[in-house]
Amino acid sequence: MTSGEVSEQSERLLKQLSESGQRLIGYFYPHIPLELLMAHDFMPVLVWADSTVSGAYEGSLQTFACSFARNIFSQRVRDQLSVLSGFIFPGNTCDSLQNVGDIWRVRFPNDIFFRLTYPAGGAGRAAVKFLAEELRILSKGIELKLGTGFSREELRRSADFVGRFRWAVQFIYAARLINPDVVSYSELAKAVRGFLSVPSLDSLATAEALLSKVQKDMDAQGHTDSVEKLSASLLERKIETPITPEETDSPRIVVLGGMVEPTDIAQLMESTPGGSDSAIVFDMLSFGFKTVFTDPLSLDGDPFEEMARATLKAHLEPTQEGLQKRLDFLKGMLSNLSIDGVIVCEQSFCDPDQFEAPSLENSVTDSGIPALRLPMDPEMSDKSRLSLRVQSFLETLASG
Amino acid sequence: MSDEKPYRRLETQALLQQIAFRHGLEAMNASEEGNLAWVTSGFPVEIPFAMNVFPTYPEQAGAIIGAQKIGPEVCGYAEDMGYTQELCSYAMVSIGSTDRPDDVPMGSLPTPQALLACNNICGTVLKWYDGISQMTGAPVYLLDTPPLEGDQTPHHREYVRSGVERLVEFLSTTFQTSLEEERFREVSELSSKAIHLWTSALKECQKSPSPLNCADRFLTMAPVVSSRGTEHCVEFYEALLEEVQDRAKQGIGAVREEKVRLLWDNIPPWFALRFFNKLAAKGVVFPADTYTHAWSGAVEGTDTRSILDAIVDIYSNVYLNKGLDAKVDKMCQLIKDFDLDAFVMFSVRSCKRYSLGQYVSKEIVTERTGIPGVVIEGDMVDSRLFNEAQIETRIEALLEMVT
Ligand code: SF4
Ligand code: SF4
Repeated sequence: MTSGEVSEQSERLLKQLSESGQRLIGYFYPHIPLELLMAHDFMPVLVWADSTVSGAYEGSLQTFACSFARNIFSQRVRDQLSVLSGFIFPGNTCDSLQNVGDIWRVRFPNDIFFRLTYPAGGAGRAAVKFLAEELRILSKGIELKLGTGFSREELRRSADFVGRFRWAVQFIYAARLINPDVVSYSELAKAVRGFLSVPSLDSLATAEALLSKVQKDMDAQGHTDSVEKLSASLLERKIETPITPEETDSPRIVVLGGMVEPTDIAQLMESTPGGSDSAIVFDMLSFGFKTVFTDPLSLDGDPFEEMARATLKAHLEPTQEGLQKRLDFLKGMLSNLSIDGVIVCEQSFCDPDQFEAPSLENSVTDSGIPALRLPMDPEMSDKSRLSLRVQSFLETLASG
Repeated sequence: MSDEKPYRRLETQALLQQIAFRHGLEAMNASEEGNLAWVTSGFPVEIPFAMNVFPTYPEQAGAIIGAQKIGPEVCGYAEDMGYTQELCSYAMVSIGSTDRPDDVPMGSLPTPQALLACNNICGTVLKWYDGISQMTGAPVYLLDTPPLEGDQTPHHREYVRSGVERLVEFLSTTFQTSLEEERFREVSELSSKAIHLWTSALKECQKSPSPLNCADRFLTMAPVVSSRGTEHCVEFYEALLEEVQDRAKQGIGAVREEKVRLLWDNIPPWFALRFFNKLAAKGVVFPADTYTHAWSGAVEGTDTRSILDAIVDIYSNVYLNKGLDAKVDKMCQLIKDFDLDAFVMFSVRSCKRYSLGQYVSKEIVTERTGIPGVVIEGDMVDSRLFNEAQIETRIEALLEMVT
């Protein structure tokens, strides 16, 4: 299933939900406490780039806005997002989304618009306090503009609901590092996408069904303990112990990048001659590992501070301070997880991706592992060229 | 001979070279002594200056590379390292010249011991300095000033304040120095004096004919960016203001025959400053621009605490750290105060923070002020993206509307 097809499916679902009275709120930057929005009785909907959409931004945006931002703007121009009651734009993440948010407000003055500004500095306590206050303001804004208050009871329920999803996919991510054949990357990516697009009981059930299968297989292969330990170290971002993965026919590849679509990467790998998506043993993408490995929400302290703490503890995006930490984590992965090759994806005109790519590439090749840089856009406009490059990379890995 | 030119050269410009030379020497010495920091253009330099850490600006070096018309070549060095051509060309030439200083006529900036980035101008600066840090080993300090939505809120102020305090700690430990109140007061007084002189010179351009044109301001803003907080910076602006006031009093314009007054939005194409001179021949002057008006907030306070508070306020509220509404308001205000006939928006491919939004702000500014505008495309350093003939045609069309 391509990302376009997954989009269509989610769109249909969202429409049904909206018709049945479920209130939906859209967001673009994946590091948002879903629990907060659910505590306001909203279903948080991650707005994805739609690979079938092109154009429709020209009167408002220059072509050097990142291709993701252009894509979502085009979706809005084409009225594809009408089921959403409001939109949450991030602030202080990247210049493209910062400014596209402003343009959005002018072009679509009737949209209910919120801005959640993130700290970019790793300032510890000060950053948590800042984000907590931003979340409090967002919460008040939702209450004021959309009329539903914040409920602690709902927060508790949603913390459990989201926690179950995360736990399930974290386990699967870790399991695939030990045996990537246990479930395909594409199935995992679809489960994540399904939940982030429509976090319903159904999409949770899909993720948990996948988990049951994986747990059974891992148990049968005697890996349960190591999977659990690995999952915990991934959550702490400390990969210090080598693993012994199952032998497979494919090379073991990690995909790095930002807001590129995991299901598109899976599809690209599957459609490449000689490729199989089980070759992707792990991703470090914004809509994958980086979001999924967020701490469970603690309900002990002030809820806004707890949400801020969990959000900021997740794997840092290149839009934040901490390149060295990211590189150290990558090094830990490369030396302990038997990685044969790395693909570094770069969204077209994405400053954070494109600035960080050379450092990532150097760090990988310094470890003696081949790396492939893959510039792309959500429309996968140059798919055959991308496929050719992946193919020749796979050949390099095979001959190495 | 020069009298026949359609524009008048400023006498004060001669002093600029001396200041640039002095700044270069001081930076070199500071680097040798282990006291050099690279800073971004919106960084509160009053703090490093007061702590005897010498700040120098890669953006300014980028502008010089642009003006020397070697931008594409030096960007190419960064491209060879794996950076894409789509990135900010200031960052590209900075990375490129750091990697291959011997291939750049003026060399690279002296090696920094710290990289001080403030993201009040864009998010790019952090990524750029991260790259330089990988090359030089100098640590990056990010002063995080999240973009403002409207007025600065208490939690924003508190967060930036804690960042400023950590900056003082960072400089203290990195450079074994301290922030002494007397010196801090002295530096901030000098800084605010320079800014007052500079803004007074800008204000003189409200008169007609305007005593300064765009290119004059782009060149003479260098010291306020690089050396505010020093005596010689104040001296330079005293001389500039005197010359500008003198011109204004005598009705001497920057352009010999002023006919049309335009607003310039964004960074200039450094490699094509003659573009403004060509327009001067048609009587076109740019009495105001959003770029040089960005340095307008003076840091004022009586003790360390109040100066730090002023820094939190001023550096959070810079032009590029505010949303589209604030940009539009500023342009409309400039159009009104400087009595302008039309506006030119330079869509700079490098700079998303400055440029994305220009299509909509163009519509709003016209709607509010009733004057026409045009968007032209290019870059400030990378001349490969500047189609001069096409730009001239667009400006011609604009001029036809107002003359
Ligand atoms: S793809 Fe990059 S530039 Fe675009 S919105 Fe995401 S982080 Fe920003
Ligand atoms: S992106 Fe813009 S503001 Fe940032 S360094 Fe480049 S030119 Fe300056």
